[in-house]
Amino acid sequence: MSRLQASLRQFLAVEGVRTAAVIDIATGMIVRSVGKPDPDLAATAACVADEARVAQGIPSADSRAGDLVEIATVTGSRLQVSRVLQGTPAPGLLLFVDLERGKSNLGLAALQISQLSPAVLA
Amino acid sequence: MDTTGAAGAAGLTRAADAAGPDGGLADALRQHAAARFSGPLRVTGDPGGIIFLAEGGICGCQTPGAPGLEAILLRSRRVTEADWEAAFSAAAVNGRPMAAELIARELLGAGEAEALLRTALADAIFAVLGGRVDGWTEAPAADCLLPLTPPARPGWLLAEATRRSQALAALAGPPVSPRDRVTARPATLRASTAHASGPGAGTGEADVLALCNGRRTVRDLAFALGRGLYATQLELARMRDRGLVAIGSYGADSVSPDGLSGIPSKVGDSDQTSAGLPRRHADRPAAQRPGTASRRYLAAGIQLLRPRSAGSGAPGGNHDPSP
Repeated sequence: MSRLQASLRQFLAVEGVRTAAVIDIATGMIVRSVGKPDPDLAATAACVADEARVAQGIPSADSRAGDLVEIATVTGSRLQVSRVLQGTPAPGLLLFVDLERGKSNLGLAALQISQLSPAVLA
Repeated sequence: MDTTGAAGAAGLTRAADAAGPDGGLADALRQHAAARFSGPLRVTGDPGGIIFLAEGGICGCQTPGAPGLEAILLRSRRVTEADWEAAFSAAAVNGRPMAAELIARELLGAGEAEALLRTALADAIFAVLGGRVDGWTEAPAADCLLPLTPPARPGWLLAEATRRSQALAALAGPPVSPRDRVTARPATLRASTAHASGPGAGTGEADVLALCNGRRTVRDLAFALGRGLYATQLELARMRDRGLVAIGSYGADSVSPDGLSGIPSKVGDSDQTSAGLPRRHADRPAAQRPGTASRRYLAAGIQLLRPRSAGSGAPGGNHDPSP
């Protein structure tokens, strides 16, 4: 059993989660994913990786603002939370979680995801 | 197709055919997967490599075309050389897999090791399939230093290699080959183009620019930076579009008057090349450099001071050989 897949499965317990995946920011590749099969996931992963790379490259006006931590995207039917996994060689890996908007609360979901995310690479 | 051997589960020792750009290697990997083949598959070509299979899955790939996990971890300083060597020695003494040793020493997390191994494996397969494939053969049993557990499905790796090729082909400008040489453009030219097309070099790009000396290829840069080949190709293509680097096509003898291939040429009419050197115009006379005339007069004066040879009536040896 893949260790990565086992830790990603924990995210499926969060209310409204459809898919959870680890994405390589440099290439946009889905390293591992769990949840409902989504034919658009590869394209979504590439777009999310691009967004993260651009956000990482923007020089902050306030140098104390720190590095990129999380990107939240809200659409008509979905919430998408992308969280940078710390520790890997730059630009690193991204935890991507796709949620049903009607079944989720963005703040609560982001909190639960942030609590579970350190276990992904451990 | 030349089928000269029938060893192993899939029984394949073949010269590449014309089944596709990879010479049919992708089909061969699918056949080995279906036969649940275990063992190394040696791929000859450029860059070529060794693909390790376990029960039909791919658990490793060593190729000179892309950095492996060792290079990525050490060059990115994620793991220090001292820690790596200590783990390597301990793994060899205890007969333990290297990945397990790195995890036991808390140099890597188990999930991180798996993620980085999958990323490096996908990159190595992309490098092998994207290069020239002359043939492949089932090689004698050999150990893979850092095998991926559980192995990856060949179908996933082949699909990822295809996605990467398509993504590179879709970028603006000529495709960036691993064998292309990369030159950082002078800061003055970079500033003028970056102003027009977006922000200048970021911190990560500064590391890349410091290594782009015109002699390193894209592949060399991937190894030097400890980044994947595809990630390096993508980054350099983006930097080329922003005018930060010039990329010379593999095999090009010299830089064209408009600069290296693929640069948005804004310096074609200037008196400097993209590397900041004075441009030589074949259709114009050589520029008169300061001091050239005075040096010529000085040389003529020295000729006048030379002793006259016998029979010569003029200074400087205007010798008449006739009796």
